[in-house]
Amino acid sequence: MRAPFRTTAMDSIFGVPVQALFGQLLIGLINGSFYALLSLGLAVIFGLLNIINFTHGAQYMMGAFVAYLLASKAGLGYWWSLALVPLVVGFTGVVIERLMLSKLYRLDHLYGLLLTFGLALIIQGLFRNEYGTSGLPYAMPAELAGGRNLGFMFLPNYRAWVIVASLGVCIGTWFVIEKTKLGSYLRAATENPALVQAFGINVPRMITLTYGFGVALAAFAGVMAAPIYQVSPQMGADLIIVVFAVVVIGGMGSIMGSIVTGFALGLIEGLTKVFYPEASNTVIFIIMAIVLMFKPAGLFGSQK
Amino acid sequence: MSDGVIKIGVLNDGSSLYADLTGQGSVVAARMAIEDFGAAKKGMKVEVLYADHQNKADVGSAVARQWYDVDKVDAIFDVPNSGVALAVSQITRDKGKAFVVSGAATSDLTGKACSPNTIHWTYDTWMLANGTGNAIVKTGGDSWFFLTADYAFGHALERDTEAVVLKSGGKVLGKVRHPLNTQDFSSFLLQAQASKAKIVGLANAGGDTTNAIKQASEFGIVKGGQSLAGLLVFLTDVHGLGLEKAQGLIFTETFYWDQNAQTRAFGKRFATANRGIHPTMIHAGVYAGVLHYLKAVEALKSDDGTKVIAKMKDTPTDDPLFGKGRIRADGRKVHPALLVEVKKPSESKAPWDYYKIRATIPAEQAFRPEKDGGCSLVK
Amino acid sequence: MAEAMNAPYTSLLATRGLNAWYGESHILHGVDFEVHGGEVVTLLGRNGAGKTTTLKSVMGMVEKRSGSVQFQGAEMIGLPSNRIARLGIAVCPEERGIFSSLDVEENLLLPPQVAAGGLGLAQVYELFPNLKERLRSQGTKLSGGEQQMLAIGRILRTGARMLLLDEPTEGLAPVIVQQIGRTIARLKAEGFTILLVEQNFRFAATIADRHYVMENGRVVDMIPNAQLDANMHKLHEYLGV
Repeated sequence: MRAPFRTTAMDSIFGVPVQALFGQLLIGLINGSFYALLSLGLAVIFGLLNIINFTHGAQYMMGAFVAYLLASKAGLGYWWSLALVPLVVGFTGVVIERLMLSKLYRLDHLYGLLLTFGLALIIQGLFRNEYGTSGLPYAMPAELAGGRNLGFMFLPNYRAWVIVASLGVCIGTWFVIEKTKLGSYLRAATENPALVQAFGINVPRMITLTYGFGVALAAFAGVMAAPIYQVSPQMGADLIIVVFAVVVIGGMGSIMGSIVTGFALGLIEGLTKVFYPEASNTVIFIIMAIVLMFKPAGLFGSQK
Repeated sequence: MSDGVIKIGVLNDGSSLYADLTGQGSVVAARMAIEDFGAAKKGMKVEVLYADHQNKADVGSAVARQWYDVDKVDAIFDVPNSGVALAVSQITRDKGKAFVVSGAATSDLTGKACSPNTIHWTYDTWMLANGTGNAIVKTGGDSWFFLTADYAFGHALERDTEAVVLKSGGKVLGKVRHPLNTQDFSSFLLQAQASKAKIVGLANAGGDTTNAIKQASEFGIVKGGQSLAGLLVFLTDVHGLGLEKAQGLIFTETFYWDQNAQTRAFGKRFATANRGIHPTMIHAGVYAGVLHYLKAVEALKSDDGTKVIAKMKDTPTDDPLFGKGRIRADGRKVHPALLVEVKKPSESKAPWDYYKIRATIPAEQAFRPEKDGGCSLVK
Repeated sequence: MAEAMNAPYTSLLATRGLNAWYGESHILHGVDFEVHGGEVVTLLGRNGAGKTTTLKSVMGMVEKRSGSVQFQGAEMIGLPSNRIARLGIAVCPEERGIFSSLDVEENLLLPPQVAAGGLGLAQVYELFPNLKERLRSQGTKLSGGEQQMLAIGRILRTGARMLLLDEPTEGLAPVIVQQIGRTIARLKAEGFTILLVEQNFRFAATIADRHYVMENGRVVDMIPNAQLDANMHKLHEYLGV
């Protein structure tokens, strides 16, 4: 084998200063936080419901909008929103599951996909009619305004919070699903819902609440996004396509897969923005195509 | 009149990042122009069609062909997104119809891609670059870094601004091209920060500009001593950002609703019909363009596209929004440009009271000289 | 059978005119049987006779069913399976139903307690010592016999006194079959009531009180275990052995 690779005084990689590279990696991690939060919700929903929730982007957008409305109509600030919005939007998810999705479980997956896709278009259209497309302002919470100089980059406090909060939520969700009694019900019901129900567990209610939870995760991400992106009706539509690619790369329904892939692809996208920014929107799809060629079930998925 | 009815097609972005600054507002503006022209009283039948081109040149082209070939549309208006506008301009030329651009920005529409069937009404990249670029370089902003939307419009705006910066003795330290409709600019902003350029020029528009400005404030770009130059900022963008984030931005417009009694009256009327949203310069351009188009059709008693465009160029323009002006041989409508600054929240007295007008650039200096554009129509 | 139809409900579990469907296919065409408290009763029959479907219909695990299923005198035909389970009935399904994403301990602890009086973990381990050594293994990594023990062990914990066992000996080595037979005998001695689906009537004969024979979605005969030898030729005919 070759001798270990050594460099002297390496202050740039392919002409990009190392310092800048660190900055970009950190930024990638921040974007990855959003990917992870959203793909986690999709994975949770797909695992138990076997439905690809195309409404996810719209629900993320609703999260941001409800935060905006709470602030502008009720005077409730960011921290209130962070707690209340997932509940409110999650509840709309519960209603959607009860009234519509639950009628489709016996049919082909395609119907669930079409229904949720249609719902997404309707919800986005309604918000667009009401609020236009140029977006609405949402104030940064005062506690997290400003930032600190890390030497290699200026890190806004809010972005640091985004990483911490979404890592916390992701790990918390992973823990509940993989390590608790409730999680064992969920995992078992993913494999054989009829048997779990025959053990005395109300599986339909669990499915409803799981969908609600997945939606609440999307809404949570929406609140997290509100202070840094414009609150606008199409904010989710743009993001969700990328998130679907993340889910496909990670493996449908894999909890750990969606979290790890979310953060990892954020990093890769961040690097692309340095070396070849024009491709930053496509790099994830290129990776998706390659992964599908060699591991059709995704990196963490198991073939069903 | 070919079929007894004049059909006007408004084609723009109905659902994405440019929908508020063009969108249904442009239809409202076209209808107001038809009403103010008094088409009904004059016995002229004018219909308005609308379509969303989704910022895709192929979608826009398909609509334009369908309108011209099947729906008997006589003229297309607005068409933001320079990529789509260039495609529609070519189709209009092939079909011998009329195309009055308000939404698109690229100066190529009256430069190397000019057409005897196209008029470019409201603004263009050269005018933006010249107005904003000059003003900024003059006040000491002599080193630039560009954040550029990666398509025809962004490239044109960057090119035209760079030329102004270099001509005035400034330098460009770097540029980065981002995809259209980007959510997260932090990576690009970090690169801009690292460049140490005094000015970060935003060669983009709509949601891209507002997201970039919002995130620039988060990353402390302005606090760190750099300034932002939004090269194309619309009233609706300022509204979406809020004055807190937008204050102090300097950029160039050709219309602001709070200029005089006539523009204020138009602004009120328009806002009532458009969910309270006040008109952008693009909406104003659609209004003035339709008005002038109808005058030419009336004078010619024909809706033949090529003839109407020629007549529009021959006739001096006069409307309540842009005042008196003219259309040059290359299709460029010329009027004064306004260098505006966004007010501080404390300076704003009413909703939509957003701009201070810092300077008015005379019509003859605001736009690229006819001879410099490379348009084949200019002898 | 006419006798059974008119008998008063003294049974713990009884079905009358039970019909069941999977989608468009009509599987059960009026199944009648009953199980008394403390009995071990088997459903015998060829493949496709409707034994497993009968078990699932009792448990509420089929898409559509009609007729009557009574447990302790209460009608259950309209109840979802989770409510039926809460009445004190537990199922050990065909193919055992061990969850691969759960380890052995999680599998064992999965079914919630539905009544007091279930076996403690220590008792389950005493019954099936192999399980205790493999608590951290993935459930489906166990041998077939161990999986069967796990599948039975986990429902003994719940406090349910009525057990539905679907082919617990299928595909297992003779020594394991014997162990399962001993376990069922012990459960019967402790007062459990057991409804057993079996292909292997020789095994059934060693533990059951009565046998119902099914054909084409109906119960066609009932043979008390004591009369099994006398009816052997008939049974051979029913089962095609």
